[in-house]
Amino acid sequence: MIKLEMQGVTLGYNRHPVLEDISLRASPGELVGLIGPNGSGKSTVIKALSHVISPVSGRILIGGRDIKSTPRRELACQVGVVPQMPLLPSTFTAFEIVLMGRNPHLGLFQSEGPRDWAIAREAMEKTGTTPLANRRVNELSGGEIQCLMIARVLVQETKAILLDEPTANLDIGRQVEILDLIRRLCTEKKLSVLAAVHDLNLAAQYCDRLLLINERRIHAEGTPAEVITDRIIKEVYGAENCVYTHPVNGLPTVILSAARHKTSKEKA
Amino acid sequence: MPSNPVSARPVSTYVSGRRTRLYSILGLSAALIAVVALATSVGSVKIPPPTTFRILLDGLPFVDIAPTWPGAIATVVLDIRLPRVILAGLVGAALATAGATYQGLFRNPLADPYLIGVAQGASLGAIVGFLLPVSSPNPVLGFGIIPLLAFVGALLATAAVYALARVGKTLPVTTLILAGVALGALLGSIVSYLIISSGEVMHGIIFWLMGSFSLSQWSEIGIVLPYVAVGTGVIIVFARLLNVMQLDEEQAQQLGVNVERLKLVLLAAATLITAASVSFVGTIGFVGIIIPHAVRLIWGADHRFLLPLAVLTGAIFMILTDLVARTVLAPTEIPIGVITAICGAPFFLYLLRRRKKVIF
Repeated sequence: MIKLEMQGVTLGYNRHPVLEDISLRASPGELVGLIGPNGSGKSTVIKALSHVISPVSGRILIGGRDIKSTPRRELACQVGVVPQMPLLPSTFTAFEIVLMGRNPHLGLFQSEGPRDWAIAREAMEKTGTTPLANRRVNELSGGEIQCLMIARVLVQETKAILLDEPTANLDIGRQVEILDLIRRLCTEKKLSVLAAVHDLNLAAQYCDRLLLINERRIHAEGTPAEVITDRIIKEVYGAENCVYTHPVNGLPTVILSAARHKTSKEKA
Repeated sequence: MPSNPVSARPVSTYVSGRRTRLYSILGLSAALIAVVALATSVGSVKIPPPTTFRILLDGLPFVDIAPTWPGAIATVVLDIRLPRVILAGLVGAALATAGATYQGLFRNPLADPYLIGVAQGASLGAIVGFLLPVSSPNPVLGFGIIPLLAFVGALLATAAVYALARVGKTLPVTTLILAGVALGALLGSIVSYLIISSGEVMHGIIFWLMGSFSLSQWSEIGIVLPYVAVGTGVIIVFARLLNVMQLDEEQAQQLGVNVERLKLVLLAAATLITAASVSFVGTIGFVGIIIPHAVRLIWGADHRFLLPLAVLTGAIFMILTDLVARTVLAPTEIPIGVITAICGAPFFLYLLRRRKKVIF
């Protein structure tokens, strides 16, 4: 079990700050949602937590250890990433791509063995990707590739998982299926999960806690009911009076109306 | 989605694919031995292959066969033909390996061993060697000044490309390719200028540039072999990481690959084996770009199999093309670079058309 933490972190590309003085954490068993408008820096947070970029200032701690002093292979045994719309080499099969998740667990002179193959097979069964196993990845749809990436991160067997828009390419059936799986793993295996989510309704349904980032800072933080409110959504997204209560589970739900269909609540 | 019974068993299909490629490696190793025996049998003096084979076996340590052949025949086989065949095999293996490495590292199907300045650097070095008033071969070195200068030129050119392409602590692949192409063009035009102003050594220079194994000796193998063996070994050790690099660099880092260190190690190894090879035999084209693609078309993209298969296929291909180059118009030798493309291109185009799937 490991905790992910950012302490007063400023992130940027070429000294142009994208995020300033960000502090956040994700604890074991907790699913934290990262929400915010386009270009607010959700993916940048994920790149920083997986040490693809280094912070300009501040500290990033993975299980209490500074990410700067953690060797890359060790880090990849602790933190797995599901990238957004990844480019995959067309000549590999889906099974080979999933098996690459074992890479951080293998030394330079080692190769995957029967145990690693079994782990990959199990992950493909869990994510419903077994029928794709021997297909080349250039033949797969965006949604199928997204599921493969989830399978790969399971194969990586990390204690923390970062997801960048894990449901962006999925139909609603697959969205619920994949997020249910992530939710279950997070609770059962006490994983620390941080997911950048574009869809506010999915974020409200699945996350324990939400971090709303806007204009280089954390604008709001708390339970979905605390973060997704009429006031905050208007401040950040400009959409007025669109938060309702889910009829079944009472969680906040965003429902949009076109201007020509505005009703009394929105005009109020 | 229709699921077929093969896809339902991902592991067994994957494992049987691995086994097939393992058998291919064993089969090609046997073929390589047969090709060496064949190539040492053919030449101006015809020697029956069984005799050649016995002479070769007798030449091995701990093997002693009662000679049934004249001593002169053994000299032809062991001191004239065998070094030439082995050097051709070494160079073919090295260029194919380096090509596969560059293609993998740059994720670019057009990459070949000469992409980042090795060939132009070696050519410039060699031409300086031709133009210098130094007797060749140099008695101290045991070989000519030309290979030495070609080797130095190749390494200097690559080092310059590397330094030019570096951005901070990272080495962006596109910058590296662009710097290589630009510096290559600069060196190439200097080479062209030196060729037209070289006077009576022009023929020698052009022959060197087109590549030839006609001056092969055991002493050269002693120099080339360590580079090729160590460099190829290092590259094969990193083959699994090279697979992960086929994802983008960001994903490779997130899967635990130290991307910048991997680039440095693989570039150094691939450059050294290329430089060592071309220094002695000239800048032979085509092999380094086409053999890796042919291997990938037939056996797939997993570098743990791709690289050993490229070593064997490159060696066999180069030995056979050299055999054609020295026998077709005997006693005149055709430059090897002419033969590699004439023999290799149609075969590659056939592969390209036969397989309808994406190749890179």
